[in-house]
Amino acid sequence: MNAPDKNPSQLAGYTAHPTTESAVASAAAPELIGLVTHEDVDRARDRWEVAHARVQGRTKTFGGFRLLWLLVGPGILVFLGENDAPSMLSYSADGSRYGVGFFIPFVVLTFIMGFIVQEMTVRLGAVTHRGHAELIFDRFGKFWGFFSMGDLIFGNFLTLVTEFIGVRAGLGFFGVRPAIAVGGALVIVVAAITTGRYWTWERITLSLAIFNGLFIPAAILARPDWHAVGHAMLTWMPFPGGGRYEILLLILATIGATVTPWMLFFQQSAVVDKGMQPRDINAGRFDTLLGALLASVFAIAAILATVPLFHHGINAADFQGAQFAEALEPLIGHTGAALFALGIFEAGIVAAIAISTSSAYAFGEVMQTGHSLNRPLREAWPFYLTLFGSACAAAALVLIPRFPLEFVVLTVNVIAVLAMPPALTFLLLLVNDPEVMGEHVNGFWANVAGVTVTILLIIAGLGFGLATVFPKWLGG
Amino acid sequence: MDSHHADISENQGALASPGVPAGVPSDVKPEQLTLSDPRAVLSMLEADQVVAAKRRTHFGRKNLSFGTKALLWALRVYVVAMLVIVFISVYQAVHAAR
Repeated sequence: MNAPDKNPSQLAGYTAHPTTESAVASAAAPELIGLVTHEDVDRARDRWEVAHARVQGRTKTFGGFRLLWLLVGPGILVFLGENDAPSMLSYSADGSRYGVGFFIPFVVLTFIMGFIVQEMTVRLGAVTHRGHAELIFDRFGKFWGFFSMGDLIFGNFLTLVTEFIGVRAGLGFFGVRPAIAVGGALVIVVAAITTGRYWTWERITLSLAIFNGLFIPAAILARPDWHAVGHAMLTWMPFPGGGRYEILLLILATIGATVTPWMLFFQQSAVVDKGMQPRDINAGRFDTLLGALLASVFAIAAILATVPLFHHGINAADFQGAQFAEALEPLIGHTGAALFALGIFEAGIVAAIAISTSSAYAFGEVMQTGHSLNRPLREAWPFYLTLFGSACAAAALVLIPRFPLEFVVLTVNVIAVLAMPPALTFLLLLVNDPEVMGEHVNGFWANVAGVTVTILLIIAGLGFGLATVFPKWLGG
Repeated sequence: MDSHHADISENQGALASPGVPAGVPSDVKPEQLTLSDPRAVLSMLEADQVVAAKRRTHFGRKNLSFGTKALLWALRVYVVAMLVIVFISVYQAVHAAR
């Protein structure tokens, strides 16, 4: 009954097109009946729950909440996953070096950019039921597909390394030895994927991700000046002073903390794995908006938590996770510092799960092997091996003595920004392609927003490049 | 093959049961959604959502215009050039710090 992973003689050669036709009513139904897989069964069960919640939503007072509860997930996960260890450290660097000011509204702007981009992946996934890597290979061919995959895999692996650095640093504050911290994190990654069910994996990861909110009590313990926060939100002032090259680097790292290529690949694949359909697009938008909102609040909390370092003139230029927490301890107390360290640990764990899953989805899509968390291990072992193998390799690097970890941390967010324009171009080409999207192609304003984000990222990247090559231009 | 079509039509008839919105077959219970009842499984999924259907169909290659190709190449050069700059600058920063 199970369809084999590859059966090219029977399963190749047709051109796909967007459709909402039921599988059982389609012309292909007679063939498909003999090829239903475990993955289809799990997805059908999820759809049954959604369909019945939709009925309840019309007839019961709080029925709509159940529908939303079932459909949210990929958007919240992608944004809280992107509030990862290097991102939270970037926000902390913003707060500790420049205090309350420009970076507070700037972070909100980056999350608006993130929402604009991620909403397109929801539509792409729900309409085509295919992952981002698969669509790029289908529409643009192997040549451009491998370039795109190269950017993704390279960036993902570097980012994954920084997540384990965050795990190590976060637990290091509590005296946990690096090998135990990193090994424990790997156990959590494996525990999340061994469920063999997308729904369970998503709920486990969401329940971990919500602890990103630990930065809120840490920020409150730092007793922020709310008047200054309100002033900064309205005026974007004070603008950071000091070295312009350093500011440019932080701006780039802050953008890279919010919009990165793995997010595009992850959310689209998660939307597909969740089984979302075009009628779920509005719920997907809400999910993405909620994720962006939560993540921006938690990011601002990380900035506010480290502002006392700025007020006390403590140089945090080279701080990593545990050092931030240790420096904060005398200023916001042991509880606040411990919450901050736990937040960095949590950020690393959730992102490690999400990013390794993103790599595995893309690998499976390109290799045309099973690539779903609804698949049992025996049916999709290359998918799970990629997921676990990338996490293990990144974890192992973190434990190598004298490995240049600071090199990786400094580089990762900047690389994410630099790799975004090509990724966004593929996204915009796909989402404007009527053969792929049908009636769900981008509207005029979505294109204006998408192109504006792409141009802003290119300008930011070029600014960084010019400032590096010609440092005197910026007084660097 | 014909008998399959007949079965599917019967199943489609169930979709239109009173009080049940389109897409929710009135005669399908969650415990029916197993490998032993593939029609029930297919009734919950869209035609291009079934794993086997996705393997069978692919979106064909898009004809890229000269402008699109030029844009993609320009962005590729941009990424490679910027990566070189990043690595050199970060290496210098780390080296200087030591």
